[in-house]
Amino acid sequence: MLLGLSVGLVLMFLFFTTARDIELEADQKIIEKVEDLNNIYLRYREQGLLNYIRSETSRATLDIYRLYDSQNNYIAGNIKSEPKDVKVNDDGWIEFAYQVNENGVEKVHYGRGRNFITPRRNLRLIVGRVVNDEKILKERFLYSSLWSIIIIIFLGIFGGYILSRNFLKRISDINKTSKKIMDGNLKERLPTTKGKDELNQLSSNLNEMLDRLDSLMTNMKEVSDNVAHDLRTPLNRIRTNLEVTLMSNPDIDQYKKSFEDALVETDNLIKTFNSILSISKVESGTSDLDRNPVSLKELILNMHELYEPIAESDGIKLNYEVNDDIIINGNYNLLSQALANLIENAINYGCSNDNPSINVGAKQNENLLSLWVSDNGIGIKDVDKDKVLERFVRLDSSRSLKGSGLGLNIVSSAVKFHEGTLKLINAKPSGLIILIEIPVES
Amino acid sequence: MHILLVEDDNETASYLMKGLKESGHVVDRASDGKEGLFMAFDSNFDALIVDRMLPELDGLTLITKIRERNSDIPIIILSALGEVDERVKGLKYGADDYLAKPFSFSELLARLDAVIRRNQHDNNNSLLELGDLKLDLLSRRVEREGQIIDLQPREYKLLEFLLRRPNQVVTRTMLLEGVWEYHFDPQTNVIDVHISRLRSKIDKPFKGKQMLFTERGAGYALRYDE
Repeated sequence: MLLGLSVGLVLMFLFFTTARDIELEADQKIIEKVEDLNNIYLRYREQGLLNYIRSETSRATLDIYRLYDSQNNYIAGNIKSEPKDVKVNDDGWIEFAYQVNENGVEKVHYGRGRNFITPRRNLRLIVGRVVNDEKILKERFLYSSLWSIIIIIFLGIFGGYILSRNFLKRISDINKTSKKIMDGNLKERLPTTKGKDELNQLSSNLNEMLDRLDSLMTNMKEVSDNVAHDLRTPLNRIRTNLEVTLMSNPDIDQYKKSFEDALVETDNLIKTFNSILSISKVESGTSDLDRNPVSLKELILNMHELYEPIAESDGIKLNYEVNDDIIINGNYNLLSQALANLIENAINYGCSNDNPSINVGAKQNENLLSLWVSDNGIGIKDVDKDKVLERFVRLDSSRSLKGSGLGLNIVSSAVKFHEGTLKLINAKPSGLIILIEIPVES
Repeated sequence: MHILLVEDDNETASYLMKGLKESGHVVDRASDGKEGLFMAFDSNFDALIVDRMLPELDGLTLITKIRERNSDIPIIILSALGEVDERVKGLKYGADDYLAKPFSFSELLARLDAVIRRNQHDNNNSLLELGDLKLDLLSRRVEREGQIIDLQPREYKLLEFLLRRPNQVVTRTMLLEGVWEYHFDPQTNVIDVHISRLRSKIDKPFKGKQMLFTERGAGYALRYDE
């Protein structure tokens, strides 16, 4: 409705301004013509005027002339009949209608022009132009504008009705699906169509959100399954240990031994729990861990300083390489824990040859920051690469060694927190490189 | 020492009380925050052990109220919320130390000892001394039996930490937090190796008595027995 009106108004405005421009130009031409006629009269008198009009009207023209003598009788000009409905405007313009015989048919034409009266007042001339087309155009335009407004309004109402009905239907579809999801059908997704409108975008965003939640839920379920499975084993050991000790009529030393074993087991359980908690805290995305500028040089130097003695006592050489001071906006504790886990992994699993060494390093290449821990041990089989990143996985070869199997998961969640990637690369000729790459703003 | 334990879980409270009494402390218990506040103001305790989540009055609020009275009584918070930021929050509210559940009892004992003694003599002395072992904080000079000992910066820090807690048990976690400022559990005996390095510098070369002891199941202690 409003649309129709405004479109109509704009069209009308356009029409009237252009029409007015054209009219003004035509009027200007007539004024010039009157001046010409005046000049001709001044030079050649009545005869000159007559000749001019005759020559002008002998060919087809839109200019119209009618010359009268002092008794108001027709002398010459292409308006043969007396003008009717003459309207004289204040500014000297006259508008009139006149009869024309076109191929034997009488027609009414419209004209607009000025009166030119010779200075001696013996002749009067109407000079003007035909305005039929303009008039007709104006009428037609008004007519068609009116119709277009009506059609637009009609289309607006009708289209709006259809659109809103469609829109409401889609909203109610979304509502229905949401209800289903709320009722527990978590695999359900909101309907989307091919279009790219806001509603569609909303639906696909919500769907992506649901996907993410779904994967988090699946992840959670996996974790709790793993937790249940992997914690059951040590709990069972503790239980059996205590139960058997009680059964066997033990002496004080046996009690003590049994309790100490149980303590060690529970301490390990606590460590595992803490690891799980810190992983889920970082991974859930709800963590409000601070980010501060962290110097990787400081981080690596501190780590080297902490682990160098234990590496040395195991006969392992712990080297570091970090040239420039690289600063990352991150969480110091998380990064140091990740690095500590990698170094401990390398010490525990990565050093089985004669001349074991571990390298820790960092460098920055424009927008990519790399942080790595490498060893020259046996490396890791390609098939095992993905496996070691899963929770609680310890490859069979290392089952006998201590550890929760969560070390790399802590690393992986710390890397995720810093929006980086974790790569396991087999080095040549032997060894494993664990490479963390974090994009940074240079 | 006279200790007030504010803990709502009966089971936990009875174990803790038993352990604390076993270690030679006198223990009173409050089972909610209000009672804890009342008892803390009523009698003279040497230290408070406060659970973070308490009925009636939350642990952090309890600490705030006690600190508002200008009391500098040592307080340790026990909490199931163990993350670093929770810890920082607890310390900000005026606790002297923060222990995440589940903790080992020896850890609690060591930390309790530490906060009580820290409170007893906050000495501004620039010379830390135990037996014939001396550490000068200004010149950073360490000597034993009159002989200068050359220490790496971290070994110096480690020794300073131990000398500030003479004849006390310090746990591995306390060392990792206090000397290295890390808040995670290492999967290796990384601290032990640093201690044995320090021992090889301050104990082994000297004919005097051993000073740096390993406390089984608890941690380490720097002691000088006459």
